[in-house]
Amino acid sequence: MSVSQAYHILFTAGLVWFAILIAVMLIKAIIGPGVTDRILAINMIGTMVICCILILSVLLDENYLTDVALIYAMISYIAVLILATVYIPANPKRKRFGEDVKREVEEGRRYVKEQRAEIRRKMEEEGFKGSTPLDMDGKEL
Amino acid sequence: MLEWILFAVCALLLFAAMVSFTGAVIGAIRFGFVMNSMHAAGIGDTFGILCLVVCLILSIGPGLNMMKLLVILVFLWFNSPVSTHFLIQVEYFTNKELYRFSDRIAGSKTNETASGEEK
Repeated sequence: MSVSQAYHILFTAGLVWFAILIAVMLIKAIIGPGVTDRILAINMIGTMVICCILILSVLLDENYLTDVALIYAMISYIAVLILATVYIPANPKRKRFGEDVKREVEEGRRYVKEQRAEIRRKMEEEGFKGSTPLDMDGKEL
Repeated sequence: MLEWILFAVCALLLFAAMVSFTGAVIGAIRFGFVMNSMHAAGIGDTFGILCLVVCLILSIGPGLNMMKLLVILVFLWFNSPVSTHFLIQVEYFTNKELYRFSDRIAGSKTNETASGEEK
């Protein structure tokens, strides 16, 4: 067995193994529970496809496949970045998940206080001298 | 004889690359939380691609193709941390449980406020 045959067997084994890994990561990308798992799986698939193309460029002795791998790396990188920026807000320091919920709760609390103050004002106008209405915290208004 | 020694080194490096990529895949599947999976994926993106490119460079010898392989190696080394950074930002902005968990660590009252209860 010559050295070139040994290299051929070695690189073919590497290609088969990378193909198996790519199939496994494809399953992971399908079943991944969150969006981040899927983008991560796609990123890893891209890296392993680049490895496959590099091995093929040496195995087939075609130098232009290395250029293909370089372009593939750039496109995979841009795809991951664009997929990520879909989910990232424009200004990350100002908005965070849950801030809108907190703001809605504060607005609701302010609305309840205004309504109770209005009820109290109406009761005073009508001359009601009964029990004092309480605040939400239990204090007298 | 020297060719066979070079072949053995190449086989060892390719085996190391395959092992590191296998570890990356197993880690990405076995680690439940995605930020841990990113750590596992970083192993394949750095050490695995290094071993593979060095293996291929040793097998083809010096030349223009070697420089292109080095360019790919450097490019992947630069863009892998940036991709991980963006993915962690995606997880930070889309994971509701992570938000609650971080607030519980910080001891803030956001949980009670979000659920509508008073202090």
